[in-house]
Amino acid sequence: MKQNSSKNGSIVAGCDVGSLTSKAVIFDGKRILSQKIIRSKPRPEESARNVMGDALALAGLSPEQIEYCVGTGYGREKIPFVNETVSEIRCHARGAKWLLPTAETVIDIGGQDCKTMKINRDGEVERFMTNDKCASGTGRFLEVMARTLGIGIDELGSHTRLAKSPVTLAAACAVWAQADVVQYLNNGVSVEDIGAGINTAMASRVAILVNALKPEGDILMTGGVARNQGVVSTLEKLVGRKIKKTRKADPQLAGAIGAACIAFMKTQNKGAEK
Amino acid sequence: MNFFHKAASSLDVPEIIDWKKSGKKIVGYTCSYLPPELFYAAGVLPVRLRGVETDGLDIGDAYYGPFVCSYPKRILQLAGKGRYNFLDGAVITPGCDAMRRLDECWRKAGDDHPGILPGFFHFFDAPHKDEAHGFAWFVEEIRSLMEKIREYFGVEITEERLLEAIQLYNRGRRLLSDLEALRCNPAPPVSGADAFAAVLAGSVTPRDLYTRALEKWIAQLDSEKTDYRNRKRLMLVGSVNDDIELVRLMENDSGALVVAENLCFGVRAAGGLVAETGDPVEALARRYLGESICPRMFGKYSERLARLKETIQQHRVDGVVMQNIRFCDLHGAENALFERDLEKIGVPCLRIEREYGPLVETGRIKMRIGAFIERIQTR
Amino acid sequence: MRPEMREYNYDWMMGSTLKAASNLANGFPKEAALALNYIPYARGASKALMDEGDPGIQLFKLLSNYYENILLAHSRGKKLVATSFCFSPVIFFAMDIVPVCMEMMTGLGNILWKRGMSDYLDFAFEAGLPETSCSSQRGSMGAYLAGLGETIDFVLNNMAGACDTNANAFAFLSAYLNKPFYQMNSPNTIGDPRSEAYHLADYSAMIRFLEEQTGEKLDYDRLAEILAEVEIQDELITDVEEFHMLKPTPLTPLDNLILYVGRFMFSGRVEYTNVLKALYQKALPKARAGISGLRSGEEKLRVLMIYIDHYTFDFNFWKWFEENGVAHIGSQLSHHFRDTVPYAADLPGSVYSVDTSSPAAMLNTVAQMNARGPMVRSIRGPYDGPFMWLEETLTLARHFSADCAVFNGTPGCRNTWSNNKLMARDLEKAGIPTLILNDDAFDDRVENWDATRERMEEFFTIRGLL
Repeated sequence: MKQNSSKNGSIVAGCDVGSLTSKAVIFDGKRILSQKIIRSKPRPEESARNVMGDALALAGLSPEQIEYCVGTGYGREKIPFVNETVSEIRCHARGAKWLLPTAETVIDIGGQDCKTMKINRDGEVERFMTNDKCASGTGRFLEVMARTLGIGIDELGSHTRLAKSPVTLAAACAVWAQADVVQYLNNGVSVEDIGAGINTAMASRVAILVNALKPEGDILMTGGVARNQGVVSTLEKLVGRKIKKTRKADPQLAGAIGAACIAFMKTQNKGAEK
Repeated sequence: MNFFHKAASSLDVPEIIDWKKSGKKIVGYTCSYLPPELFYAAGVLPVRLRGVETDGLDIGDAYYGPFVCSYPKRILQLAGKGRYNFLDGAVITPGCDAMRRLDECWRKAGDDHPGILPGFFHFFDAPHKDEAHGFAWFVEEIRSLMEKIREYFGVEITEERLLEAIQLYNRGRRLLSDLEALRCNPAPPVSGADAFAAVLAGSVTPRDLYTRALEKWIAQLDSEKTDYRNRKRLMLVGSVNDDIELVRLMENDSGALVVAENLCFGVRAAGGLVAETGDPVEALARRYLGESICPRMFGKYSERLARLKETIQQHRVDGVVMQNIRFCDLHGAENALFERDLEKIGVPCLRIEREYGPLVETGRIKMRIGAFIERIQTR
Repeated sequence: MRPEMREYNYDWMMGSTLKAASNLANGFPKEAALALNYIPYARGASKALMDEGDPGIQLFKLLSNYYENILLAHSRGKKLVATSFCFSPVIFFAMDIVPVCMEMMTGLGNILWKRGMSDYLDFAFEAGLPETSCSSQRGSMGAYLAGLGETIDFVLNNMAGACDTNANAFAFLSAYLNKPFYQMNSPNTIGDPRSEAYHLADYSAMIRFLEEQTGEKLDYDRLAEILAEVEIQDELITDVEEFHMLKPTPLTPLDNLILYVGRFMFSGRVEYTNVLKALYQKALPKARAGISGLRSGEEKLRVLMIYIDHYTFDFNFWKWFEENGVAHIGSQLSHHFRDTVPYAADLPGSVYSVDTSSPAAMLNTVAQMNARGPMVRSIRGPYDGPFMWLEETLTLARHFSADCAVFNGTPGCRNTWSNNKLMARDLEKAGIPTLILNDDAFDDRVENWDATRERMEEFFTIRGLL
């Protein structure tokens, strides 16, 4: 994007090209002017162009009006129009800070991995842990399990509340867990009990990462899985602390928001240099 | 440098091929607890066994179970495919449970794939302790291996020849110490990948050629010709690694430089001199059993930590990357302790788990290392 | 770990549960039956052991005593040592040290609690012990790492070279808790003069470590007393092993467990002698009458467990044998390697003898006995080496008339998972149908018990065994 100062202050963008979804936000340092989430395309360049194009259209802006753009996510090296790329771990931390200024611990569960971070006052990462396992403990795990159960991913969240006797699932491996789910279905166990077991298996994986960080202060959860109330409530039990959510924006956007925050900071620093 | 990189990244090492062509013998070995000087003294080329250049694991998985480290599986895979048929012998050492079982797995694979089992196949039973009885056992293991070499290869390892081999290996060790000293400089004259390749090459090439090449290479290193001054300085520790690409991944376009390591294929095994006086077998035992400690020695954690701290200070390390191969319990547990104790004194640490073999998880590992370097930069 | 778990001391929780359970049999049967209604969590396991009759009741008493010793150790001025089931506790009793056997405690927790040791397993992982490492120690170790057990004074292990994962877990425990540590290791062979001399030297050094930790010299008179009790026990075990060879075996599936839990916890102590006497007395009439120990009275199949059992909730694994009319003819843990057992002559390297004629002889006795515990004995060397896993399994299969073999273990077992395929292949070649199970004996989250049970049933059906 062209580096171009706008009269009304800087307008910047953040673009997060993830494995399942791609997100873009347009930001003026205070407010999100527009936002867009799309399902990722096979090629990251295409995802980035589409999602950013949509976000710009929503804000009624042209690419030239964006002063600085930061890219992040798995596909970040392939985004053609960014001024800079930053790791999604740092972006999520910055995004979380913007979403909840009191956050000191951040849990982000994306499609392909799960990250937990401790962040300082400036929103910079002090320590982080990521799951190094297969799909278990990731958004993909829930997707696969929901599909096996024949329900929508959003439905899964309510199962923990509705279950009468949740099942125990193979938590260490998604492939085994799936085999367990099929077996429970065959044995006539209710979908809610299995769904609750899936949420618990997921929460247990994440809790290990969170507890290993020794969480402090407010915990914010971002990423799509934050919308699954079953996982969140079980996780709260396993961690022994309330997990905050934010209404300021869709928690799935945290990475893109963080990228935009870093982009905005760049424009301000440039101002200082002048 | 080409000499080192070629030797470090492929099984088809020109020097090994030349050695074989001249009709001389070659023996493969699996562990840094085996003194290769023994073979060198017998005129046999010792080559450290590796799992590079594998595609697929069908043979490895046919004998090993699913919950096992990919390193011995990949060695077995190469053996099964005949890539190690140039070996006249192999020595298996109980480095850990999975490595120890290469003994049976290779032998049984040899029944199914004729010709892949070398004629000389020896189990070198290195104990897991260096107290008096462990030391005595280790000395006996060395002497018994020397006897086996004499029987099979028809070569007597005299004290003189052994001492010569020790002196030659020591010459290389001194050069590696010089290299390490250069890496302590605020502006190191060498990248981590190049340094690692230079150390690694020593485990697969004829030692006289290697030592000469090392000497020549180190002499021309010059920090004026590099711009490594402002890089963030990383150290790499953990499970067995013989992949230069992993080091490159940490350095390339990342603003970081790998200035130190503590790895089985690295200076941990290569450093530390063998005494050139007294009984050479005992001298080897003292060095190989007592001085190159790895978590297989159980209960040596505080010594290991002290060494790491010393290296971190001398090499001005900004952050430590700790990797462990999936199912490597020994390094996995130790990395967690290191992280606890190093973070406590303000040294940033990153723990990652990976598979051994061609870097299949580049994206995932690069993302983590990238974020870690950002963490160090924004401190 | 869930925060509420931190509110309970693990040792007290187990100790009080077992204390109460051991009292169940003191009243009338009706009282016990009534009491079971009030202990929903421990009901299944308690009932299973009570149904075993006297051996089960004696085991409850033994377990209760074991925990009482741990809980009161420090107030009695004794030291607590963290140790493994592969290490014979006789030396601790001779030196007045109280052992805390990690694997036994993990197994017990799984059997007694519906959610098993999952919280402690996860805590150990949070603390840094890899989740791929063996669950047998990781469970109870999690409680001690979290500071939820009695304070361990020092750590001792003898598994290096036989099971490095086990050795590593204990090394981790000592480093994490900053406690003194002594590690023993096994050479690649057994029964040869060189390895025996090594074991003696290693054991002697270990005793020096214990003497340093306790500030007391080993009292050989006390050791002689303990070994005299071992002699009585070995004689009873030899008889019980002979019963077990009978077809049908007069022993119940659970008797196998009772046999080894007792030995790993109280070898050389009267608590274990009581268990053995009860086992012997219960089996004797059935042995004489040629009756199966199974409740159904009919023995349809004889299964040899070639590694360990499955410590899932409520003794469900052993119940499966009962319900299906299958005789459990022992595992690597339950079989005994004193030179008096009938199969000793076929495995001369694997057996030990007892000689109390002098302090030096006693020392060598305990050193060689210790080197013949489970795992250290037959998975130290290559599985096809002399006296190793294959030879031991084939010998036991022959003496105990095994119809088939089942491998059950943990995914954390690098050692056996590096050669169990080779074992299965060789056993099949020898005409023994062999099943390898993928579950985790100490963590139902890896594969739930119902799935494991189905795998077993599928195997027995397809192979025409049941």
